[in-house]
Amino acid sequence: MPKYRPDLDILIEYAAGTLPLAQAACVTAHLNYCEDSAKTVQQLQAVGTALFESLDPEPVGDALLNRVLGRLDEEPPLSYDSYQGDAQNLELKSDNEGVIEMDATPSLLRRLMDGNFSDLPWKRITDSLRTTRIKTGDPNYEFSLLHIKAGGEIPHHDHHGSEMTLVLQGGFTDGEGEYHAGDFIYKTSEDVHAPRAFDDEDCICLAVLDAPLKFTGWKYRWMNPFLRLQAG
Amino acid sequence: MSGTWICSQLPCSGVPTDDLNPRCKAYFTSQDWGQQNVENTQSETKSRGTDAWTAPSGRRTDEWSECLVLIAEKHDRAAYTRLFRHFAPLIKAFALSGSALSATHADELVQEVMLKIWQKAGAFNPEKAAASTWVYTIARNCRTDMFRRLQKFDTPLAAEDFSQDQDDEEPFSQLQSRRSAERIKSMMGNLPSDQTQILAKVYMEGKSHAEAAAELDLPLGTVKSRVRLAVQKLQVQFERTRATD
Repeated sequence: MPKYRPDLDILIEYAAGTLPLAQAACVTAHLNYCEDSAKTVQQLQAVGTALFESLDPEPVGDALLNRVLGRLDEEPPLSYDSYQGDAQNLELKSDNEGVIEMDATPSLLRRLMDGNFSDLPWKRITDSLRTTRIKTGDPNYEFSLLHIKAGGEIPHHDHHGSEMTLVLQGGFTDGEGEYHAGDFIYKTSEDVHAPRAFDDEDCICLAVLDAPLKFTGWKYRWMNPFLRLQAG
Repeated sequence: MSGTWICSQLPCSGVPTDDLNPRCKAYFTSQDWGQQNVENTQSETKSRGTDAWTAPSGRRTDEWSECLVLIAEKHDRAAYTRLFRHFAPLIKAFALSGSALSATHADELVQEVMLKIWQKAGAFNPEKAAASTWVYTIARNCRTDMFRRLQKFDTPLAAEDFSQDQDDEEPFSQLQSRRSAERIKSMMGNLPSDQTQILAKVYMEGKSHAEAAAELDLPLGTVKSRVRLAVQKLQVQFERTRATD
């Protein structure tokens, strides 16, 4: 069970359906790992249900009822079948190490990736860091995967905005904690950190950003102009 | 601030048997499992047997759950019409909350949600959730999708893709979650009005915390803590991140 979970505020917005699409996708992926969070969300949905049931009903005329009754025989759209993605054969050949397991990858993510990890266009940032952007359709947030080599570091950076991170595989430390698969980390603009992957395993994370990262160390500061936010 | 809090287990009052509507019950011909479960309210948590359905105790047997089962199993239009007359006005009120949608879009949402209910009734499992929870979830998802369509999002995801899959949930935790839903519903009436108001903004009007803060002219922190407080009073189980212990 993950040790680091989203705050209650985030889960409330998630349950109410108001969390931005990209962030909601990240929380959904976390729920795959975390029964506690899933249970909280379930109860938060019960709050919504109770409010829904106590609304003052708005009159709906028979015309609308008849229109709906007339449409009952329509074929339902295909998308109603639950998604059966290609769960098999999802593995990533990392550059020079072994295979990265994909079994535990949340299905929502698999669906967004539309194929294998290895098919994604990874972009090298440093020797130990590569990223790839995944399209969610959310115009305000960048949704990407980070691959940090075992023992590798992401240079010191801060955030203009917010950063949600979900560990998918392996793990990292950042001086404040140790994060493993399923752990959810939320940073805002005040937080500076420099995650470092565990020595024995490559780390894959999902990151949701609303502004580009900003490297703070002198060695990587020159890269900042290249780290444009790619939302969408 | 204390690190962890977990709600105390309240004794559950069991199933409100007067929820049962004889009109709906009359439709149960083959197995009268609705009846059986009302009588059997104490804490057995057996799963389905092979011969007869011995559902866990405390299963809700309200009229609307039974209507959904009738729709799924018999494509019963009479049951559907009853369900429509009850829920369509709530869905419309939900659509119009906080003038989120125009009247035209609200009617469109009602149609969309009600049609989906007919098409997806087979996926409704009365052991897992009350009908109202199931309907509310569909309404919320459809509204979120409609908002995104109106904002011209180009996304491969529909809101229902975000629902976690709880098919493997054990009967005991199904029972627990139904009980906590009952408890939350019964406690809602005891909340102070400012807390009910803020919850309605967040859930019914679909406002983010930041939007709610702007509308109520309150600092974001105040809105967040008011929402949290309300949710905690309803004894929603939430364990803080263990790291901050």
